[in-house]
Amino acid sequence: MQELRDLARKLFQERKIDALLGYECDRRGVRPAFVKAADECDRLIFDQRCVHNLAAYLSPRRSHVVALGRLAVVIKSCDARAVAGLIRENQLKREDVVLIGVRCGGVVLNPDEPGELESRNTAPRCVGCEQREPALADHIVGEPKTAPAGNQDRDARLSEIESMNLDERLGLWVDLLSRCTRCHACRQVCPMCFCERCVADKTLPAWIESSPHSRGNFAWHLTRALHLAGRCVDCGECERACPAEIPLGLLNRKAARIVSARYGYTVTDDPSKPAPIGTYRLDDGQEFME
Amino acid sequence: MSKRRFLSKPDLGPFVLDLIGSGARVIAPVRRLERGRDFIEYRQVRDPNDIVLGGPLPVRPLKEIVFPPTETLFRWRQAKSLIEIEESPTSFEETVIVGATPCDAAALEIVDHVMGWDYKDELWFGRRQATAVLAVACTQCDESCFCTAVGLSPQSTRGADWFLTPSKEGFEIEVLTPKGELLLERHDTRCPEASGSPAARASQVADKVQANLKMQPGKIRSWLERHFEDPLWKDIALRCHGCGACAFSCPACHCFDIMDEPEGMEGGSRRRNWDACQPALFTLHGSGHNPRKDQTARFRQRIMHKFNIYPARFGEVLCSGCGRCIRVCAAGMDLIGILSEIGHRAEEAESAL
Repeated sequence: MQELRDLARKLFQERKIDALLGYECDRRGVRPAFVKAADECDRLIFDQRCVHNLAAYLSPRRSHVVALGRLAVVIKSCDARAVAGLIRENQLKREDVVLIGVRCGGVVLNPDEPGELESRNTAPRCVGCEQREPALADHIVGEPKTAPAGNQDRDARLSEIESMNLDERLGLWVDLLSRCTRCHACRQVCPMCFCERCVADKTLPAWIESSPHSRGNFAWHLTRALHLAGRCVDCGECERACPAEIPLGLLNRKAARIVSARYGYTVTDDPSKPAPIGTYRLDDGQEFME
Repeated sequence: MSKRRFLSKPDLGPFVLDLIGSGARVIAPVRRLERGRDFIEYRQVRDPNDIVLGGPLPVRPLKEIVFPPTETLFRWRQAKSLIEIEESPTSFEETVIVGATPCDAAALEIVDHVMGWDYKDELWFGRRQATAVLAVACTQCDESCFCTAVGLSPQSTRGADWFLTPSKEGFEIEVLTPKGELLLERHDTRCPEASGSPAARASQVADKVQANLKMQPGKIRSWLERHFEDPLWKDIALRCHGCGACAFSCPACHCFDIMDEPEGMEGGSRRRNWDACQPALFTLHGSGHNPRKDQTARFRQRIMHKFNIYPARFGEVLCSGCGRCIRVCAAGMDLIGILSEIGHRAEEAESAL
């Protein structure tokens, strides 16, 4: 922790940054921190409650964050995939941001969860994670960590749904999506949902009905899942943010499975590796045209 | 002149079945498991065993029963120049809420002001009329609850037709309104006169809630009136993602959008949908101009509406202290922290005079 605070202070003192995005304790747990001066750096913390993917704040559409000036941001190795995504898709220049990588041994599901990290409360996405520190970072801080414990099969439910027949699957999603009120928390917390004007906000014509009925909700969530196919960094923020507790990650992980099977591509923290959604290859399969 | 009655624990199930049998839709807190955690939500019940009374606060507020996230205002059909309009009905099926939390019940009355102000909202009041609210005293709270700071309490009976206080053997019932009397008449035999002195109401919960936040809404309002342009807003709003989770989880937020949706070539429906002031789209003009240009302006609006504008017009804050906005926020926006900070600044401003 001291290492992180000292580094942050040094970056301010050397005028390398104007503001730093990290984590701080609040009344209930941990929340994102916006540090604006060297003497505020002692607020910074990092522990297993730092679940937030701060890359969402790096989107150029956050005008009030952009106005802070040159930023440093604290990232875990999973967050690095989102930063890489922003660089890959020309939303961010690598040299415009200072990346402070923290060594991470897994996080809990929610930032207000008390107690130590155990296999019981480890976020499912951390189980099996092999990256303790982000390769993309300019600086790495923190004690060496071991891989998170736990043996939950996070894709068990996905496989279970895949084995259902069409009617059962439809029934399940009609029920789950009936709870969606279209608050768009899933989109707003998503680091890869950076469109200047989201298709769901367009009214002339309204491609996606804004009404939270089945028709509108299916159109919204499936369109979003398709637009994130091969782009979703699997940070789980959409699920965490959903006030209706809809397991949205299932849609994204299903899309990731398809992208992986079809294009042999998995989302990576290497910004130079092109993603299928933005790539044209002469040997791309075209059987759907036959 | 409220009446005191009693409903025993074994009689709760049969009472609910009586309600359903009489043709009423019964909505109650039920348990749901998702992502390995279980939580409570208000749902229509058919089996009384599903009902969880006195558990944690339902994740979403009661308002959606009276004010659905989407509803049809009217349908139209068009054939050449002939347009037919089919209005939506403004009378609704009888609904009984069994186990509303005091904060959710009170919020309905708070919102009544605006729904009956410059026009009488037929859909809101139609459903309000058809809905009996049986609220139950809160027996637990967490660090996000602050009903006592806005003049309510875990035992507040506001907005309830019946108020249930749990005891060892069942529930003591206070019948509070003519609608409640009517309901009692129909279910008189299940609910005998309560004997003895009124059930003691636990004050521990209220004490805990009070420890979360103490504030004087008048002082908050007076600070807000004088600090529209304050650097505080910029600081607070930085972490806000600009979604509608807080507004849609709020029992008192009531903003809506109206949309026409074609259904086929011959007609369509005009609907009203929940809307929220934090997304940029809320105030985006057709010209492309947005008077609330950034999150700072949008978040300030949320606080101003609840704690300055609404009290100025209707004499009370637009908040029942349920704390859902705090619990659902992915970015850790904390209304209790924000109100404490404003309260603190208000005190400072006062002592500087």
